[in-house]
Amino acid sequence: MATTIIDSSKKGINLNFRELYQYRDLFLTLTYRDIRVRYAQTFLGFLWALIQPLATLLIFTLIFGQAIQVDTGGVPYPVFAICGMSAWTYFSFVMSNAGNSVIGAQGMIKKIYFPRLIIPLSKAVVGFVDYAIVCVLLVLMFIFYETVPSSNIIYLPIFIILTVLSALSLGIWLSALTVRYRDFQHLVPFMVQFGVYITPIAFPSELVIERFPNWLSAFYYLNPMAGIVEGLRWSLLGGEFLHTYSYISFSIVLVLFISGLFYFRSVEKTMADIV
Amino acid sequence: MQSDTVIDVQNLSKKYRIGAAKKDNLRETIGGLFGARSDSQEATEFWALKDVNFTLNHGDAVGIIGKNGAGKSTLLKILSRITEPTTGRIQINGRVSSLLEVGTGFHPELTGKENIYLNGTILGMSRKEVKSKFDEIVEFSGVEKFISTPVKHYSSGMYVRLAFAVAAHLEPDILIIDEVLAVGDAEFQKKCLGKMEDVANQGRTVIFVSHNMDAVSNLCNSAIYINDGRIETISKNVDGLISKYLNNLQANGYSHGLEFRNIGFKNEIHSIDRMAIMNDDFELHQENIHFDQNINILIEGKIFQNNPALNLGVNLYNHRNDTLCWSWVKNDRNQELKKMTDLKKISLICKIPKSTLNEGSYKVEILSVLHNIKNLIKKTEGPAITFNVVGGDKGVQLNLPLKWSYK
Repeated sequence: MATTIIDSSKKGINLNFRELYQYRDLFLTLTYRDIRVRYAQTFLGFLWALIQPLATLLIFTLIFGQAIQVDTGGVPYPVFAICGMSAWTYFSFVMSNAGNSVIGAQGMIKKIYFPRLIIPLSKAVVGFVDYAIVCVLLVLMFIFYETVPSSNIIYLPIFIILTVLSALSLGIWLSALTVRYRDFQHLVPFMVQFGVYITPIAFPSELVIERFPNWLSAFYYLNPMAGIVEGLRWSLLGGEFLHTYSYISFSIVLVLFISGLFYFRSVEKTMADIV
Repeated sequence: MQSDTVIDVQNLSKKYRIGAAKKDNLRETIGGLFGARSDSQEATEFWALKDVNFTLNHGDAVGIIGKNGAGKSTLLKILSRITEPTTGRIQINGRVSSLLEVGTGFHPELTGKENIYLNGTILGMSRKEVKSKFDEIVEFSGVEKFISTPVKHYSSGMYVRLAFAVAAHLEPDILIIDEVLAVGDAEFQKKCLGKMEDVANQGRTVIFVSHNMDAVSNLCNSAIYINDGRIETISKNVDGLISKYLNNLQANGYSHGLEFRNIGFKNEIHSIDRMAIMNDDFELHQENIHFDQNINILIEGKIFQNNPALNLGVNLYNHRNDTLCWSWVKNDRNQELKKMTDLKKISLICKIPKSTLNEGSYKVEILSVLHNIKNLIKKTEGPAITFNVVGGDKGVQLNLPLKWSYK
């Protein structure tokens, strides 16, 4: 028989992955709910997931491709831009949705127990729907511009996993922080808006780095997506291997993810009281 | 811990901060890091539960009683693991389902079917379990026809029935239920209580919080009386404990059911001491008053000063707290009542004739006024009693004697 012990004298934080696994059905159902509800009662439905990146791509192509004419190393500009954009679309969706997810589920949190971590985690899966649609767009671009993917493509899964981890790590941190400090609700849209321009999505990172002293370049890669977007583009389009500083981005992802899990679990204990 | 012990609670306490909680915004947290002190750090502490100890055995059906704010809900929240205790240790043997609300997680855009899966998994069932019980749940809910319709199109009755149907098919070892289940109409409440009795009779452990003493008395074989966060008494004598609790309440001027004693309203002109809802024999009415019965509202009080401007009245509300009507003593055709203020002691009856109120929940409130001078008891601030009417039409409150004829 299942035995539960609630002991206030135990102070340690237990990540308890086994319990998360026990609640996998709830995880799936919540994910299904979010996907179903996201485009419910919209006339265009899933087309919205296509229209948004397409519009951004158009603007990027006009401004960075035509007007500024950034150096893409011979790759047609739309192909260049959509590589980074696909990851950014997923990242920004998951970060902002996961960030607000716990606040959004406060009705449930106050009425029933389940591992709260399921809430932000499920957003990572919800984001895959839009991600998949953008990836279809990406493939179409490659075909249209007759671009052959580089052989580095075997490393693509690593960078996709890093994208998921970085989106989740920020999402988990933000969701726990927002419970305590609603200030973060205002910060997230700002981070998304800001991030499109500081992350090398519409332009190669050399453009920025070249003019920076070394210490500032290292600082630039504190943005986890900076290294990941570069890596994605490298695995799809080839070219020079990643800047050494990219490893700063990758390390940041791991640090944020693990610390995020622990921080979330520590806030979880009082979540129902303060949300 | 003995083998048939299901729940063992030791030294349980729960502290909340009230007022401005410490560090509840970023500026203060950052300020705190640099040693800045702000006034709101001195939030007051409040112990919702203090040193609670008890054990429950397999098959116990325990009612938890106590007035609002006594700590009942906090106890349920801790047992359901929604919040953690400040001190203490709890051991629970068995699978727990807690129902602090019906329809947790229901999404209006999803269909009835999708919401059954959603709510079922939230309540701790696996998808497989929900699937195997799906037909039963739908049948129990009685909304078969609309099972593929988004629940936002459901009536509130259908919504609650569907939500309860899911909850009713849980098979936990320990069931924790808050009184919020007592929503919905009388028929639905009966269904809820019936289902809970089934669970208790199957030898599962039930923990039940309610203000409905009849339900506690019928359902439970032991009771815990909580007062100000502490356990006052635990007893197998449920009825004895209930009457102890009710006596304490009345001593403190709380209303119970259809009688409100020791009201304690007093000004220089008059007092209101007691009100009650009575039948034609001037006994307290039954819990559910039938449509065909007269409803007599008794008001007792004393007059200290003969002020001819004094007028007393009642205000009748529906379940949404909308005023349905009011009525004043001195506006009655009976001229004798105008001499009310000459008396020392008043004992008034206001009769709502039978077949006036249709099925539903109503509230009657006492009002007092110095005519054209001032309100002595303002609307919504007077002593009040809530009562239920059964029978008559449903969905509309008033059954006024309108007259039809051929012209």
